[in-house]
Amino acid sequence: MDNKILVGGLVVAIIIAILAPFLASSNPDGLESTAEKVINEEALHKNLQALGLEEEGTVAPSPMPDYSIEGMGKVGEVIAMIVGTLIMVALAYGVAIVLKKPSSN
Amino acid sequence: MHIPDGFLPLWESALFWIISLIFVAKSIMWAKNNLDEKSVPLFAALAAGIFAIQAMNMPIPWGTSGHMVGSALTAIVFDSPWAGILMLTLVLIVQGVFFADGGILAMGANIFNMGVVGAFVGYYVFKALKKSNVALASFLGGWSATFIAAIICAIELAIGGVFPIDKGLMYMGLYHFFIGIIEGIITAIVVAYLKSAKPELLKSLNTQ
Repeated sequence: MDNKILVGGLVVAIIIAILAPFLASSNPDGLESTAEKVINEEALHKNLQALGLEEEGTVAPSPMPDYSIEGMGKVGEVIAMIVGTLIMVALAYGVAIVLKKPSSN
Repeated sequence: MHIPDGFLPLWESALFWIISLIFVAKSIMWAKNNLDEKSVPLFAALAAGIFAIQAMNMPIPWGTSGHMVGSALTAIVFDSPWAGILMLTLVLIVQGVFFADGGILAMGANIFNMGVVGAFVGYYVFKALKKSNVALASFLGGWSATFIAAIICAIELAIGGVFPIDKGLMYMGLYHFFIGIIEGIITAIVVAYLKSAKPELLKSLNTQ
């Protein structure tokens, strides 16, 4: 197994994770920007009511919403990104190990 | 391009969960038949990189930002759109469950747009063009994956009644025309890197 590529990829990902909170644009993304301009408030209100939500988001609470930790500012954002990257690599590695085709030896 | 909960009516969220789960099941079958042991570290490394770079929104014109999706890149690297679908499913689960990025109910639609549409469009655009120029094929694969996924997303939101079809298509298309350029550049850079450093891992260049 070529673990060099895993370590290399993880190092690059962690560097991005540390820099992202400082470099990321805080502007809304393409979908949010579109929504600001065109959303049908009446339809949105009806859908939110059906789900019992106050505003759009998610029906299940997340531990680190918007890649941040409450009250921890930029440090919390860096921690959230690093934690997320580690969860991601562990999940992807685990799923890939479980699902890979049986070795042919 | 993550649809939050509240944008889609419940029936539509449920419908896209059902559609996406069929594709996810097929992507699991792909892994069981095609994902070899050598590729596991690369799959995990790509997951980490895509997660990190997705979270970093990059500015585009009109006070808007955009982020990487990564299903086209994954499909190109593993020579199968099913790899991209599996990858985006895992990324969207982590984003939705831990970071409230995209709704839980809307996750089926998000897997469909960014995973299924992104992977199939990106992969087949790349495949059609790779013989003439790998870098250009990678760029256009990434660009078209993002652009078409955004168009499909606008149609879903119009079906759900929250976006008007004409303006929804216009703004989603316009913004993602530019966001797709970011996707295309990153896709081309990673493919070019793998081509020079780890050509044996870049499956789509090793098969005809």
